[in-house]
Amino acid sequence: MAGKLKVEVVSPSRRLVNQEADEVIAPGADGLFGVRPGHTPYLALLQAGPLTINDGGTSKKFFVAGGFAEAGPDHVRVLAEQAEPLEGIDLAAAKKRLDDAQKKLDALSPTTPEHAAQAARVKVEARRVEVAEKR
Amino acid sequence: MASLRDIRKRIKSVKSTRQITKAMKMVSAAKLRKAQEAIMSARPYAQTLEALINELVSRVEPGTVNHPLLTERPVKKVEVLLVTSDRGLAGGFNANVSKQAWRYLKDEGSKMEQHFVTTMGKKGGDYLRARGFSIRKDWPGVTSKITYDTSTEIANEAAKRFLDGQVDAVYLAYNEFISAISQKVTFVRLLPFETGKKVEGVTKIDFKYEPNAQAVLNALVPQALNVRIFRALLESAASEHGARMSAMENATKNAGEMISSLTLFYNRTRQAAITKELMEIVSGAEALK
Repeated sequence: MAGKLKVEVVSPSRRLVNQEADEVIAPGADGLFGVRPGHTPYLALLQAGPLTINDGGTSKKFFVAGGFAEAGPDHVRVLAEQAEPLEGIDLAAAKKRLDDAQKKLDALSPTTPEHAAQAARVKVEARRVEVAEKR
Repeated sequence: MASLRDIRKRIKSVKSTRQITKAMKMVSAAKLRKAQEAIMSARPYAQTLEALINELVSRVEPGTVNHPLLTERPVKKVEVLLVTSDRGLAGGFNANVSKQAWRYLKDEGSKMEQHFVTTMGKKGGDYLRARGFSIRKDWPGVTSKITYDTSTEIANEAAKRFLDGQVDAVYLAYNEFISAISQKVTFVRLLPFETGKKVEGVTKIDFKYEPNAQAVLNALVPQALNVRIFRALLESAASEHGARMSAMENATKNAGEMISSLTLFYNRTRQAAITKELMEIVSGAEALK
């Protein structure tokens, strides 16, 4: 399959990536999935996890949380609520954020809707630490 | 007649006013640039998201997916979200958009069973309260520091009220940023959420969905709602600074004109006083001869 993918990664506050690439691996709701040129039209929810963009010999890694990925034969668009370059994550700060989020969660009563929202936040923070530790 | 000292005082005070309006103009110009950048960087996300929803709606088999936020029902209770600024001195910025909301409430809202107002920014609330409307909820400080999280909070509340049946429609009034010197008052329906219409005759290959179309739509619609509010806040902020900049520019110019006419008047008065004194001396000397 000839050609390349046009890859865009955007978060609400900025556009992180706008480039061509050979392959994108994204954390879909049912697990990691890879996209190469010629992919069938695909629309996936994302879970918190690592996003990898491979182009030639170079690869870029991001941490993304929440959002969507749309893939077509010649493009991939990733809309993430949160997205940051993996090497930019400050591990100590990420751990602290996890702790803070966990403490907030513990303070809430488990039956309230806030509890569920906070639990989701804790999960994202935990995933961030996990992904950052593995880089 | 004003004494020379009075005029001098007056000139001094106008000069210091001009200094202030000039400074405010510069500050607004700097803030405007920042706000404009924020809009620019938020644009790709907003546009892609809206495009995605439209794609989904146009590709998916009709009737297979639906979302409660898209469902229309007879409108008996309506809510208006009004975005203004916390501070004035921005020309017609706050008045124009508030007037639009007020007119709607007066003409349409009064026919409904119930109408509610939610405000972002102090000025809109002041305007409507002065005209006898009560404000259901105010989001303090959201217009001065715009974050995606706060807009999410606002969107969630609006969506919840819509889903609980407390309101049947939600409208959003804000200033859209056109350029540094022009803003457009925008009044749009926020809920039920409107998507692009399905184009007849064009069949595109449907997506494959993960996990499924309904789940994706369930996640997309609230996001799109957030983005609309987020954008409205950003647009309004940029408009505010633009409007204040041109208002202050005008004020500075007017102050300058006032100073030059006062200075002219001052010089004329001074000259008249000198002439008068000279005349007195000359006629005094004349009398002694």
